[in-house]
Amino acid sequence: MERFFELDGAQVLGPSLPLAIASIFVLAIAAPWVNRFAGRSAGWLLAILPFCLTAYFASFTGAVASGETFQSELIWVPTLGVNLSCSLDGLSLLFALLINGVGGLVLIYAGGYLEGHPLLGRFYSFLLMFMASMLGLVLSANLLGLFVFWELTSLSSYLLIGFDQSRPQARASALQALLVTGGGGLALMAGLLLLGSAGGSFEIALLQSQAEHLRSHALYVPAVLLILAGAFTKSAQFPFHFWLPAAMEAPTPVSAYLHSATMVKAGIYLIARLSPALGGTDLWIGTVSTVGVCTMLLGAWLALLQTDLKRLLAYSTISSLGTLTFLLGLGGELATQAAIAFLLGHALYKGALFLVAGSIDHSTGTRDVRVLTGLGKVMPITAIAAGLASLSMAGLPPLFGFIAKELSYEVTLHSSAVLITTAAAVTANAFLVAVAIVVGLRPFWGSRNPDLQEAHEVTTPLWLGPVILASLGLVFGVFPQFIADPLVGAASAAVLGRDLSSHLTLWHGFTTALGLSLITLSAGIASFAIRGWLVKAAARWGGIFQWGPTRWYDWALTALNAVALGMTRVLQSGYLRHYLMITLGTMFALASYSLLRHGALTITFDWSDIRFYEAGLAALILFAVFAVIMVKSRLSAIMALGVVGYGVALVFIMYGAPDLAMTQFLVETLTVILFVLVFFHLPESTIVSGSVSRVRDMIISVGVGGVMTFFVLLSTPDSQKALSDYFVTNSKSGGHGQNIVNVILVDFRGLDTMGEITVLTIAAVGVYALLKLRRRSELVETGSTGETIGLVTSAQLAIKEEPTAESQMSSMILCTATRFLLPLLLLFSFFLLMRGHNEPGGGFTGGLVAAAAFVLYRFAFGVAEVNRVLPFDPRVLMGAGLLVALCSGVLALFAGQPLMTGLWNELHIPGVGEVPLGTPLIFDVGVYMAVMGVTLSIILPLAEE
Amino acid sequence: MNDVVLVLPLLIPLLTVALSLLAWRWIAFQRAVALIGAIALLGASVLLFQRVYSVGTIVTQAGAWQAPYGITLVADLFSAIMVVLAGIAGLMVVVFSLASVDKGREAFGYYPLVNALLLGVCGAFLTGDIFNLYVWFEVMLMSSFVLLALGGERPQLQGSIKYVTLNLVSSAIFLAAVGILYGLTGTLNMADLAIRLGESDRPVLVTAVGMLFLVAFGIKAAVFPLFFWLPASYHTPPGPVSALFAGLLTKVGVYALIRMFTLVFVQDNAYTHTLILALSGLTMLTGVLGAVAQQEFRRVLSFHIISQIGYMTMGLGLAGLVESTELATFALAGSIFYIIHHIIVKTNLFLVSTVAGKLCGMVELKRQGGLYLSQPLLAFLFLVPAMSLAGMPPLSGFFAKLSLIKAGLLAEQYLLVATALFVGLLTLFSMTKIWSEAFWKPLPEESPASRNPPNLSSKQMRILLFPIGMMALLTITIGFCAEPVFSVAMRAAEELLQRDGYIRAVMGEAQ
Amino acid sequence: MLTLLAIVTGCLYAAGTYMMLRRSLFKLILGLVLLSHGANLLIFTVGGLTRGHAPVIDAGEDVPTSPWADPVPQALILTAIVIGFAVLAFTLTLFHRAYQTLGSDDPDDLKLSDQ
Repeated sequence: MERFFELDGAQVLGPSLPLAIASIFVLAIAAPWVNRFAGRSAGWLLAILPFCLTAYFASFTGAVASGETFQSELIWVPTLGVNLSCSLDGLSLLFALLINGVGGLVLIYAGGYLEGHPLLGRFYSFLLMFMASMLGLVLSANLLGLFVFWELTSLSSYLLIGFDQSRPQARASALQALLVTGGGGLALMAGLLLLGSAGGSFEIALLQSQAEHLRSHALYVPAVLLILAGAFTKSAQFPFHFWLPAAMEAPTPVSAYLHSATMVKAGIYLIARLSPALGGTDLWIGTVSTVGVCTMLLGAWLALLQTDLKRLLAYSTISSLGTLTFLLGLGGELATQAAIAFLLGHALYKGALFLVAGSIDHSTGTRDVRVLTGLGKVMPITAIAAGLASLSMAGLPPLFGFIAKELSYEVTLHSSAVLITTAAAVTANAFLVAVAIVVGLRPFWGSRNPDLQEAHEVTTPLWLGPVILASLGLVFGVFPQFIADPLVGAASAAVLGRDLSSHLTLWHGFTTALGLSLITLSAGIASFAIRGWLVKAAARWGGIFQWGPTRWYDWALTALNAVALGMTRVLQSGYLRHYLMITLGTMFALASYSLLRHGALTITFDWSDIRFYEAGLAALILFAVFAVIMVKSRLSAIMALGVVGYGVALVFIMYGAPDLAMTQFLVETLTVILFVLVFFHLPESTIVSGSVSRVRDMIISVGVGGVMTFFVLLSTPDSQKALSDYFVTNSKSGGHGQNIVNVILVDFRGLDTMGEITVLTIAAVGVYALLKLRRRSELVETGSTGETIGLVTSAQLAIKEEPTAESQMSSMILCTATRFLLPLLLLFSFFLLMRGHNEPGGGFTGGLVAAAAFVLYRFAFGVAEVNRVLPFDPRVLMGAGLLVALCSGVLALFAGQPLMTGLWNELHIPGVGEVPLGTPLIFDVGVYMAVMGVTLSIILPLAEE
Repeated sequence: MNDVVLVLPLLIPLLTVALSLLAWRWIAFQRAVALIGAIALLGASVLLFQRVYSVGTIVTQAGAWQAPYGITLVADLFSAIMVVLAGIAGLMVVVFSLASVDKGREAFGYYPLVNALLLGVCGAFLTGDIFNLYVWFEVMLMSSFVLLALGGERPQLQGSIKYVTLNLVSSAIFLAAVGILYGLTGTLNMADLAIRLGESDRPVLVTAVGMLFLVAFGIKAAVFPLFFWLPASYHTPPGPVSALFAGLLTKVGVYALIRMFTLVFVQDNAYTHTLILALSGLTMLTGVLGAVAQQEFRRVLSFHIISQIGYMTMGLGLAGLVESTELATFALAGSIFYIIHHIIVKTNLFLVSTVAGKLCGMVELKRQGGLYLSQPLLAFLFLVPAMSLAGMPPLSGFFAKLSLIKAGLLAEQYLLVATALFVGLLTLFSMTKIWSEAFWKPLPEESPASRNPPNLSSKQMRILLFPIGMMALLTITIGFCAEPVFSVAMRAAEELLQRDGYIRAVMGEAQ
Repeated sequence: MLTLLAIVTGCLYAAGTYMMLRRSLFKLILGLVLLSHGANLLIFTVGGLTRGHAPVIDAGEDVPTSPWADPVPQALILTAIVIGFAVLAFTLTLFHRAYQTLGSDDPDDLKLSDQ
């Protein structure tokens, strides 16, 4: 269905890239055990793999920088276009290095940070699961493969945010993050599918190669908007940014890794990855850059107002993500280069700062910037790391953040809307400078806050990460040409789809950008100074922020629950009558509409051929029906119902269906008996529904009845009746029987009868169980999972049998009569069974009569007596009947014939002569036994009630 | 012509029913027979599947009466798949029952009833005769009635009454429709019906009868607005029973819908399948909203059954509407894949809910909790099917959803796709609700389990977790082996859409 | 006669529906029974009415004396009747137990399982 694509000039690596991803997944599964056995050093052990992978990917730098691409094809579900094919170009490489490098450090850090936590093992495995998914995301060469990992990052993020699951806040934030990113994910899925159907493939490289075609395609706009929705939610762009600060519920290593360095950049990655294919249009540039600018400003401003270290960092992260989006939206060589550089710089310093925040929290027990002061003396190493990181964040030379910022100013200065963009960038950066001071410098200088006595330098795992990340910021800043430039260059080249001319340098000379940097710095320091005032001002205007998207989210959830509850209350009202009304109403509506939608139908009412007795019979039935509805007393209603049944039976007789009539008479009689047995004792029901509902019900009923009448009148049978002709002609020759109906039942359509007696059997079991299996305390209500409740078994119920009273009241005559009747009726039933194949009768009627004999006996002499006469448990009899019927059908299989094929044999009976004997007859015997057992095990227990 | 493999899925459960009844008082024997029977059934179904997979549709004419005169048993790939699924669900539930069903129920025919249910289900999947289909439906229904009411607790009885009544209405409609079809065509064999209705001179009437079938099977499949019986009853019986129901019953309805509306009623697709499509959307939506409104483990799951029935019929509707055969096949394959995924996942979730209920001694989510800490394995085993249900990759549900969404987009049914996506999100929402309430949240003080911890022996626990683990494994496997599974679904869909293969197989040289 | 039976069938369905919508489990069952009578009669009618002999072959003959009634609908209805009886027996018992347990005959008192 989908086409595949060999990148021309791409080195094929074999499965090594997918293996890299898989290896981390395996480690994730093993992590809990590693933790159990390695104990404190588990973090270090687990970090080995990511570091090795970092080295592995680093080894590609040279080749990739010189423009090479590596790919490994791995087909997964080609029919759906989902493949695990990976490719490694500059962009992927940069991310892969970040994911593994930072990941390793974070694992070590977590080992110290969560030391002794009971669930540390799970934490490692969630973190590694995320690492693997994120790596997969950035390596995928197939859009749907990318999506698979995309969703997995959301899931692992959910599990990590809710890691401290006992706190409701943590659970709520986890859910919020999952719903926002998950919702975006679904939009993304739709978008990718549209893109795929537009481009005829899900292989990114192939899509890039036909950018022109895509941009002009009808599906371009919806695809882009949906994909961007996915990217924006993931990368916390306005107005979806609100989940990120909430996600700070997660343990700090998670915030540092997922919610700053890597996962939140997945959206950025996607935008970058797809801009060669989709970018460049007004729609793209407009949407992406605008959203970016808004996010950048909003994030920076909100960051300034926070007092919690992590929230400060979270909002500043939002702002930086905005900047990235903005730059990528603008597109072009410079902007791309700036974006990539900024991305690298941000990952380094923000990761470090988050970890520092964690260390401070860990050592002082607070994250409130208003009380954190003068920690520099007690936590020197952390202080150095924090200082370097925050200077980089503030964009001071010689740190890498400076280079990135300079570049971004170059971009704004060359952009179409110079003033706005530059102003926006400067403002945002100024605020971020202030934030950097608050986060990275303020807590360390000055005199120590007396409340922070227990503060102390943190252990190696906790300072190692920050130090390394922060000093990398310095190294890259001072010597951009060595590592940073090749990486950034290659990445930008990948985003642009062409090689890069310019290079990263620390010093550009006295340019406008430098001037802007100075302004930014001073403005930043200024806003740090007046920060208190700003916060107050904001508090005064705080009203507007209460109407932020968080509110929308809450409101949406409440609305959803309200709607759901309302709708369900209406639909699933619990009123059986409403259910019936809707169900039958639907039937009526669909049927009648389908009949009439092609205009009126011609129906012929033909009264000519009605004979008077037929009319009389019909009248009788209708009258009885009317009586059933009208009469008050139950008994008379039951009797009327019986009349209806007998009337129907008479109809059967008139039209040559004696078997049918016989069965109908018997069944009707039994029905009446059952009704009386069940409802005789129960008091009359008094509730009468109001006239309105009566009228409504009548309308529905008449509708249903009318439709059925129409159906009958319209479907007057075609003359050709292939089936019946065949049966009639083959009944004697093939079926060895003269009663065609019976031959159909036991031979032509024996399978139906097999099912039929099964139904009977099950029903009998059901009746018996319902009556005998009772709760010890019928009325006490406990939890509705049945298993926990004690049930009285039949053994315990054995005492329930005591109806000697009846046997006394039953008259002498009945008893004596029954004594004779029992054998007579049994004999008669055998007779019916035997003749059934040739004349009306058969196993079913026979069985019923036999059962009737015992029922009669029971009424005469009571249960105990019947149990004495009855040589077997009715259940067992049913089983035997089923078994006989089954065997008679299976015999054919051994004879190499299809199931239930009749095997016949002439049997010589002296005096009678040759009698054909065949499996269908045995089958009928099975039916006889089953029916007898069924009837007994239904009536006898009911009679006890 | 004569394939024993084809009849085994009927003979095995029937035999177990008969034997268990013969040994009515001997529970240990019934347990053994049930287990052996379930294993045998699964084995037979697998044999049947690989037979059909290798040689194509197989047929046996019961009683050796040539179609359309006798009753024909047919197994095309779709039927075979369904039988295998029934076998899996059946075995898992029986195993689970061994450790969870109480003495009382066991003494009153629990095991024969379960087997009778499986018999009815397999019969419905394998028969090629419309009236015989009715009979198997009744077998299935009757046993479900009894299983539902067995034990006779208040909620059970209340649920049963609604369930029984509405399903009997459906049977009455079904029966009438069969009668009318016979009047119209003089035949009952589905393949023969397909031929004759194609030539029928009363197309309007044919479509109208089709509507009767749509309603009758719609009730069984719990399609909007005919699903009321399901949420009213599914949470009332013992866990394994509702697991079996959740896995199989509604899917038999879906199977019948797919069979009838790909084989028999294809004269007026523009009308019928548009209707099916509309119903699908509404079913998804109402079902998932119902789930959002629930606060009880099994009730949430029950409503989700409805919403996912919508996905299954969605593929059917699309398949009937699009011009390109390739796309139609793809859409229908999506439905089939969804059924495969759903039966396993849903059965499993109900089993998990049972264990959770036992451990917390309570079924309301509000009063459950703490399982994340106390039962890490169970927590993981819940997460797999739950996330699969929510369509999280790389689990089976993801590909099920993906294929249907893709089909919908290619068919340009954007509104329906939007609905399906939104429903997907809400599914994720209520799965996380269960996760956060029953697993993450600490066990509330007032919950009985906090006062007197549940008494589940480790042996019992192992038996309970075995089927759950097996099916979780299966869910993951289907996810990773989505390609082979989906290509099987594609083949099945192909067979369904080009009916003449089926017809020729059934009618033999008669045609 | 077809017309007449068509109307009778319709009435059975209508009456059945109406009874099922009453506020009494007892009437609900009566409704179900009427419904199944309706279904049986419907099959019998649309199967083709023949005022003729039963589809039984007399001794010595090979086919029944025509015009014979169509045996197929008869067989179907016979199965349907029996199944209907089984279902009815169970349903009666179920409602009986429900009445005992819940102490009410009013379906509107059965909301507990839904809400």
